[in-house]
Amino acid sequence: MARRGRALLAPTVLAALALCGCGSISGSAGDFTPAHPGVLTVATSTVPTPGFWEGTPGRLTGGFEYELARRLAERFGLGSVRVKVVHFHRIVAGDLGGADLGMALITPTAEREAALDFSGPYFDAAPTIVVRSGTEVPDLASAEELRWGAVRSTTLVETIASRIAPDGATRIYDGQRQLLGALEAGKVDAVLFDLPLAVAIADHSGGRLDAVAQLPGPERIAVAMPKGSGNVEAVDSALRAFEADGTIHDLLEEWVGEEAADAEHSLPLLRTTRR
Amino acid sequence: MSAIPGSPPFASISVHSPSGAAWEFLILFAVVILGPPLMQRARAPGIIGLLLGGFAIGPHGLDLIGAGNTTVPELGQLGLLYLMFVAGVELDLGLVRVHRNSVVGFGAITFAVPMALGVGVGAVLGWDVPASLLLGSLMASHTLLLYPTARGAGLSADRGVATAVGATVLTDTASLIVLAAVSGSQLAGGSSGSIAGQIVIGLAVLLVFTIVVLPRLVRLSFRYLGTDRVVRYLLAVAAFLSAAALAESFGIEGIVGAFFAGLALNRLVPNEGPLMERIDFFGSAVFVPVFLVSVGMLLDPAVMVGGETLKLAGLFILASIGGKAIASGIGRLAFGYSGAQTELMLGLTVPQAAAALAATIVGFDIGLFDQSVVNAVLVLILASIVVGTLLVERSVRRVPAPDVGDKLGRRVLVTLEDAEQAPLLFDLARRVTAADNGIVRGLLACAPADAGERQALLDELRAAAFAADIDAEPHLLVHDSLPEGVVNAAAAERASLVLVGQRPAAASAFGTAGEAVATASPAPVAILLGDARSIKNVRLARSDPDDRIDSATESLAARLATRLGAEGPTQAHPPKPGELLIVPAPSWEFLADPPEPPSGAAVLVVPEP
Repeated sequence: MARRGRALLAPTVLAALALCGCGSISGSAGDFTPAHPGVLTVATSTVPTPGFWEGTPGRLTGGFEYELARRLAERFGLGSVRVKVVHFHRIVAGDLGGADLGMALITPTAEREAALDFSGPYFDAAPTIVVRSGTEVPDLASAEELRWGAVRSTTLVETIASRIAPDGATRIYDGQRQLLGALEAGKVDAVLFDLPLAVAIADHSGGRLDAVAQLPGPERIAVAMPKGSGNVEAVDSALRAFEADGTIHDLLEEWVGEEAADAEHSLPLLRTTRR
Repeated sequence: MSAIPGSPPFASISVHSPSGAAWEFLILFAVVILGPPLMQRARAPGIIGLLLGGFAIGPHGLDLIGAGNTTVPELGQLGLLYLMFVAGVELDLGLVRVHRNSVVGFGAITFAVPMALGVGVGAVLGWDVPASLLLGSLMASHTLLLYPTARGAGLSADRGVATAVGATVLTDTASLIVLAAVSGSQLAGGSSGSIAGQIVIGLAVLLVFTIVVLPRLVRLSFRYLGTDRVVRYLLAVAAFLSAAALAESFGIEGIVGAFFAGLALNRLVPNEGPLMERIDFFGSAVFVPVFLVSVGMLLDPAVMVGGETLKLAGLFILASIGGKAIASGIGRLAFGYSGAQTELMLGLTVPQAAAALAATIVGFDIGLFDQSVVNAVLVLILASIVVGTLLVERSVRRVPAPDVGDKLGRRVLVTLEDAEQAPLLFDLARRVTAADNGIVRGLLACAPADAGERQALLDELRAAAFAADIDAEPHLLVHDSLPEGVVNAAAAERASLVLVGQRPAAASAFGTAGEAVATASPAPVAILLGDARSIKNVRLARSDPDDRIDSATESLAARLATRLGAEGPTQAHPPKPGELLIVPAPSWEFLADPPEPPSGAAVLVVPEP
């Protein structure tokens, strides 16, 4: 090769060698370091949550997010999954109770990102209205007249305020079970859940509850991790792999149901734009 | 309507901060417009301006286009398919054939060495096998980003350049096959045997579709639907999208299908033809820049300047550029290239862009690579482009321009006065250009007084050209002296051959138009006589030894005969209907009064070049 060519390649090689001296290297898809060796510890807010966390906190039997956590553990070479139940408002405030991950249908927001790190989304879900069977919500005007309820610290509180703007104040509950109890007892007329959960709740209610409409603008659902966690890349890569190989779709179909997986296309859309 | 009393003027006017699709596209196009020239002013390649511009507007920069935006990444994905299609369609397969031994040899070396080094780097880092193989394949590929520089310097026919171009077919195809295998193994369910089976079957179906079905389908579509230029362009786009979709249905990356579709349409879309101009135009104006901007949006300085990313980038640069340099050195020893040629080949094969990015993005999407790998590859791309640019710009000045030879079918100028002759003239032109992947230009010659009337015939000519599978873009040649006009046009078009359609009525007291063109044309001329619209048989007339035909004339007639698939040489008896007789002209007098063939037949007179 010509002398000039060699003269150009030499500094390139030197620069490359210099770069090689920087930092340490992790696996091609990121490395996962658990809080407790050999165990993936996951924080969630409500067990059971139909379709997402089945069983009891002491004896989990399945569910979409639980199985997703088990797949993550398998990928990271961890032998088991330990689940911690933590209030949702504590999770989104950054307190995962010492867990590696938080999985509770959490939507990343700017405020939450100040306290937590988030993976990329593992699915998108539209806010969906759940009512007692027989209650009709054909349009925004009828939605405004209903009494609404929501779980504290969820993004759905703001969604109700900004997009439904009900005539009365929204009642806030500490947990999902209290909220559903209030709905069944007639203390509130309507609540919002992320679409797959809304459909799963309606399915598990024995016909007492119904998912009647979705709002436009789906929200992203992601895995939360402690701020500054070194596991974000590994979790991100794993979720992309699960999205690409169909794991996420299969788990949704298995635990939340085909109907929920396709509800995005079948459930009526409630237009929330005011004329 | 009246204002509310007491309210300040314009109180009802509300101005929102810009958002939505129009705003995002405005931002995107602003980067496409401003990025490259700003970089070029800084004497850096324009492509870097697009990558940095993408970073500036992306979620890690000013966040003007946020992380949740799907429009730009999807448009970028289309741009990536487009880029791979263009890479396939632009390759000069004629040159690949000529230098096939060195192409295959150098292609194998310049694939194998960086591939081995890349896999080695993956192994040293403790990566699993699929990730290491993907890393090797992305380093083994290269993108002919700097080929236009070599072509602009008149070196496209240089042995080293042709070898590097041809090797690209092998390296990129092999890399894409590795990519298909790796991504297929990560995506498809089932055993490794069934995955391998699916990929093999998928590639076989894809090859049959792109080599057998697609060219025929596109040719038919061009003939029956493609009389409109917009439709021709859209057919080309639909062709690569169909191949990409077919590939994806077998779990193979769409870019593999797009690249194969480009190779399949290579002959149907001549490099200097109008359709290629359109494909290049939209590619360079919109699709490819948007792809590069969408890649730039992935740049995350927080990750890029991290120790891990820089270390990865250093290793990648060593393996990739080092591998390509070793391969070029071996190629020099094995095939006897000069030092300057070797440097030029290295400059051409060092730049990483389309295929490497495609493999990286696919690796990222399927969870094999994390963001630090993506950013390290982006650093590698920047470094490889800079190094490649410097190597090519230095070496093109030192590689002597090759003796191109006279490619008869490079640019054939068809000129006629009678539209009846168009179908046969265009058919002959297509056959002559086929071997050289050349282009055809059509001219309908007329005197100024006839211009208005003749304009209407252009559509008829265009249809005749499309029916012959060529896009000749016929133009009107208005000139007081038609032969002079044709000769000027031949010079302006840098024609390699002028095919003149001539009817007996064209003869005047000063001879025929064809004769006049032949005497002054800067390119060889062949004159078609007769009213045949199509031919079934071609014969080359045996010349009489007494005629003492010039050897150059004999040679030109023989070359035309070969390209037109002629029998012969045979006795020069008059052609039958459906027959074309190629006749080397024994003298200029012969041109003044050439033999008129019977109805339905044609004669191609070849005067002294």
